[in-house]
Amino acid sequence: MTETPLRILVVEDEVLIALELECLLDDLGHITVGVAGNSADAIALGQATSPDVAFVDIHLIDGPTGVEVARALSADPHTTVVFMTANAKRIPDDFAGAVGVIAKPYSERVVAGALRYVADRRAGLAATVEGLDGFRLASAPETGERHTPVR
Amino acid sequence: MVLTDPRQHDNPIVWANEAFLSLTGYAWEEISGRNCRMLQGPETDPRAVRRLRDAVIAGRPIEIELVNYRKDGTSFWNGMTVAPVHDETGQIVHFYSAQADMTGKYRTEVAMKDAHDELERRVGEQTAHLRAALEQKTALLHEVDHRVKNNLQVISSLMLLKARRTPRGEAKDALQGMAERIGALSTVHRMLYSTGDVTRFDLREFADDFVSELVAGLDTDRTAVSAEIDSIAVSAAMAAPLALMLHELATNAVRHAFPDSRPGRVTISAQRSDDGLRMLIEDDGVGLAGGTPNPAGFGRSLVEMVVRQLRGVIAWSDVAPGTRVEILVPLDAISLQSPITDRAPGPEWASP
Repeated sequence: MTETPLRILVVEDEVLIALELECLLDDLGHITVGVAGNSADAIALGQATSPDVAFVDIHLIDGPTGVEVARALSADPHTTVVFMTANAKRIPDDFAGAVGVIAKPYSERVVAGALRYVADRRAGLAATVEGLDGFRLASAPETGERHTPVR
Repeated sequence: MVLTDPRQHDNPIVWANEAFLSLTGYAWEEISGRNCRMLQGPETDPRAVRRLRDAVIAGRPIEIELVNYRKDGTSFWNGMTVAPVHDETGQIVHFYSAQADMTGKYRTEVAMKDAHDELERRVGEQTAHLRAALEQKTALLHEVDHRVKNNLQVISSLMLLKARRTPRGEAKDALQGMAERIGALSTVHRMLYSTGDVTRFDLREFADDFVSELVAGLDTDRTAVSAEIDSIAVSAAMAAPLALMLHELATNAVRHAFPDSRPGRVTISAQRSDDGLRMLIEDDGVGLAGGTPNPAGFGRSLVEMVVRQLRGVIAWSDVAPGTRVEILVPLDAISLQSPITDRAPGPEWASP
């Protein structure tokens, strides 16, 4: 279904949500490189796997630490961070380096659409989020090289 | 009244009248030849003293109020008018000063200021109290909102996980169907609290999202879905049942009206009418009689229950080709107080 599979890190403290998301990502032809429920594991997994995409919930086992996690993960220029939360009000104005947020409760269509957007953007194509009500961008997409892999 | 002589050292008192003596409590011998500053004390404002001294040095007249002390140590507010007295050559020979006890006036002013300060303090306290209470309530609302959404996600994940592990067949379809219904309710929740208005939501916004979801799982070349939904504000209480109903009818039409790859179209429309909210779901499929009655069974009774809950009426008809479902639902007071419409609720809403 997808041209190039994305390597995805899932940062989510609800085991059931994480598991179902993993199945969904598999259906969509992507690879889940890891699941983390707390901030320390998430940051360590991010460093170990350098994923293409990280889905980050705000509320984790150790509190509302998802914002820190997003900041740490987006420090890797290879990783595109997307928040996935029912608590979008906690996201800071600069989105902590994330490109957008998928609002919970989400549908499979919105997750698929958000990933398509991220893949297009990483490939340097014109990406659109039209019709994806549950996916909101941090700001107007930048044209810079920020999210294309260096090296 | 008192006269001083600036030509003598330290500008001493050279004359005082009886009123001055009785105001200050001193005998003439006790003040004669002394400077007026003998009346000042700890509560005398040094700034007022400086202004007075500057005026005397400059030879300017001045009106000033300051705290003075009597011989017995009690204080009073002294309202003074001080003016230079010139001789024929223009030289200042005396300073003349008239006094008035302003203590009464000051007491009132101080009492009023105290009362005012106290009132301000109390209002401030009250405001801080209310602000804290409001912040607490807002935090609570966010917490509950967050939990509801998270739980809906968990429930949906649970259904889908079980569906994945269930072999193809009726049970799997039922689980997927339930996950989709939960999805419809989830969309309502996401929209209700994202706009800031937690009491109402826009039916059109929901329908747009919902139709996108419906079309996503379809071969759109074969089945076309179009929606014409007016922007209608609907109360939160009505939102969930309406969403469930629309989801059920549209999904039913898409799933069961076009068996054997039969092409067709589904049209969903909703308008406000004089009688309330009027919705129409039409398809050009096989019709009620042509479909297998079994799968639509639960969906149909769900729709009828929801319409009953909304105190509306529903009419199913075979229109050959296809099925037409018309629903009329009265709008409640919260829906009606919308800025989108200005119609007041009519008496017909009172009927049960």
